[in-house]
Amino acid sequence: MDPAGIFATSFARDAALVRTRPQRVALALFLVFLLLLPVLFGPRLLAISTLILISSVIVLGLQITTGYAGQINLGQAAFMGVGAYTTGVLATKLGLPFWLTIPLGGCAAAAFGFIFGLSAVRIKGFYLALTTIAAQALFHFFVLNLPWFGGSNGLTLDPATLFGFAFETDTSIYYLCLAVAALMTYGAYGIVRGRFGRAFVAVRDDDVAAGIMGIDVVATKATAFLIGAFYAGVGGGLWAYFVRFVAVDQFTLFNSIWFIAMIIVGGMGSITGALVGVVVIKCIQEGFVSLGPSIVTQFPSIGGDVVFALMNVFLGSVIAAFLIFEPRGLMHRFDILKRSYRMWPFPY
Amino acid sequence: MIDFLNYLINGSLVGLLYALIAMGFIVIYRASKVFNMAQGELVVFGGFIVWWMVIQTGLPLLLALALAMVLSALFGLVIERIFFSRLVGESAFAMVMVTIGLLILIRGLILVMFGPQVRPFPIVFPLKPVIIGDILIPRSLLIGAVITVVVGLGLSWFFNNTRAGLKMTAVAEDHQVALSMGISVKRSIAFAWALGAVLSTLGAIIYLSGKSLNFLASDIGLSALPVALLAGFESIAGVLLAGLIVGAIQGLVTAYVDPVIGGAVGSVFPFVIMLAILFIRPTGMFGWRTIERV
Repeated sequence: MDPAGIFATSFARDAALVRTRPQRVALALFLVFLLLLPVLFGPRLLAISTLILISSVIVLGLQITTGYAGQINLGQAAFMGVGAYTTGVLATKLGLPFWLTIPLGGCAAAAFGFIFGLSAVRIKGFYLALTTIAAQALFHFFVLNLPWFGGSNGLTLDPATLFGFAFETDTSIYYLCLAVAALMTYGAYGIVRGRFGRAFVAVRDDDVAAGIMGIDVVATKATAFLIGAFYAGVGGGLWAYFVRFVAVDQFTLFNSIWFIAMIIVGGMGSITGALVGVVVIKCIQEGFVSLGPSIVTQFPSIGGDVVFALMNVFLGSVIAAFLIFEPRGLMHRFDILKRSYRMWPFPY
Repeated sequence: MIDFLNYLINGSLVGLLYALIAMGFIVIYRASKVFNMAQGELVVFGGFIVWWMVIQTGLPLLLALALAMVLSALFGLVIERIFFSRLVGESAFAMVMVTIGLLILIRGLILVMFGPQVRPFPIVFPLKPVIIGDILIPRSLLIGAVITVVVGLGLSWFFNNTRAGLKMTAVAEDHQVALSMGISVKRSIAFAWALGAVLSTLGAIIYLSGKSLNFLASDIGLSALPVALLAGFESIAGVLLAGLIVGAIQGLVTAYVDPVIGGAVGSVFPFVIMLAILFIRPTGMFGWRTIERV
């Protein structure tokens, strides 16, 4: 909601994503920060930031499928893998440029996800989630057994090039990911506040009622999978160009579960929440990884792998705690806060 | 022909092992309406408890196994106390999500408490296979199959014929309705998790006897999923039949199709079966048909 005293006087104003001057300033400052990030941070933090951007794209897709349309998706890593492998094969075998391979990777993933979304014709609830587990298993099988994907050796990619410029350095690949992530975030905001987004929310809240209101429930669920998988595929394409090596064990069920953890912590049903969740979880993970060695030197009795395991314990507890105490995630807390100061001094 | 029989029988016995693991799923679902994604993790945790009791403490085998069962039941109760007693009446969506958190948490706990190393699992059943004519059967699977059938029929009787079992069935139907009829949903969920953990430990003993154990063994939880689905999530006796069917098909596919294609068709085939079931008959062979009302 808008602060007290702000009223939209035109349709364009009412439909605007950025509504007030402080928001505009904050967004501009944030973009400047993102653009200057390679100058401000060292190489390790830059690599982490790139990873955060790639994960953001994937988790945005999951947010649309799970957070908005309410369909549990345990195959997001497989969809990401389909995108990564499609990108990899198109780039190495056909030599297509990255601005074709990444969208095509997204489309391949979307087609794969759509097949599993179509099972909504017959089934609903967590039975639908089970088909996505099958997606994970089938993905592994096909990659390892079809001849084009390099089997268990994986695929090695050349860097992305644009007009002779190669995205070889960490900085250049960061900017590539930033551009794609910004575009995809803008797209996600557009989708969820449009007709599709409202249909998703209606289906999530009560699919029988949504059907009675005239929403094609099956088509909506399938579309949610289509869009979510497209995002995963684009993220996978970026991943392929970032790591420049694609192997099947980068896309396990456990990775899918991490993506779900991110939307739980950030807040289900909020695009900003998805981004917040990615940043929080990735920072905790990387914090454990980088603090781990110093903890081990301080207390040699603990041992290195225990630190990594403690991260799982900590994050598992965080997820469960969020579901029990604040199922709507960090963004919901922030919204309550924002609402109360905008209302002030009125109670409601 | 002898080969065929060998593959068929061994496949069926492996299928019964899956059925035992799937029973853990089903018991938890049948008494609390929670679909437990962390089933594989429970199996591995049970396995590590057994390993710890038998090999580390050096107690006599049977006593150690009994203590391990008690410990895993306690572990199930702790899970219920910390997480699920707070979630009575919440949506199925939230419950599934909590079990996903639990999956990460238990895996972390296993790594912290027992480490990522591969451990030798105690030999609970003699390694010498049973030989009938030309058919060779691993002893652990044969004994396991007998245990599975007995446990399955017993639990099925318990849930369908006793007062306590029927109360839990009501909880699986609807938390609100069960509460309003004076049934303690919390106690039912607590029992479900204790029983689920004990069944998982039993499954771990049969699955791992004489093999090696590390945290990656949790994949068996996923392999058991198609079995639970084929039976229908509410049917405990049906899971035995479903296990036989899935196991036999998997055994035959592994034996006859894998060499032709040159890949792990056998390991992925249960998931193909699972997709087929989901499309043809999502409630499984013996599941409850639910009618949706507004």
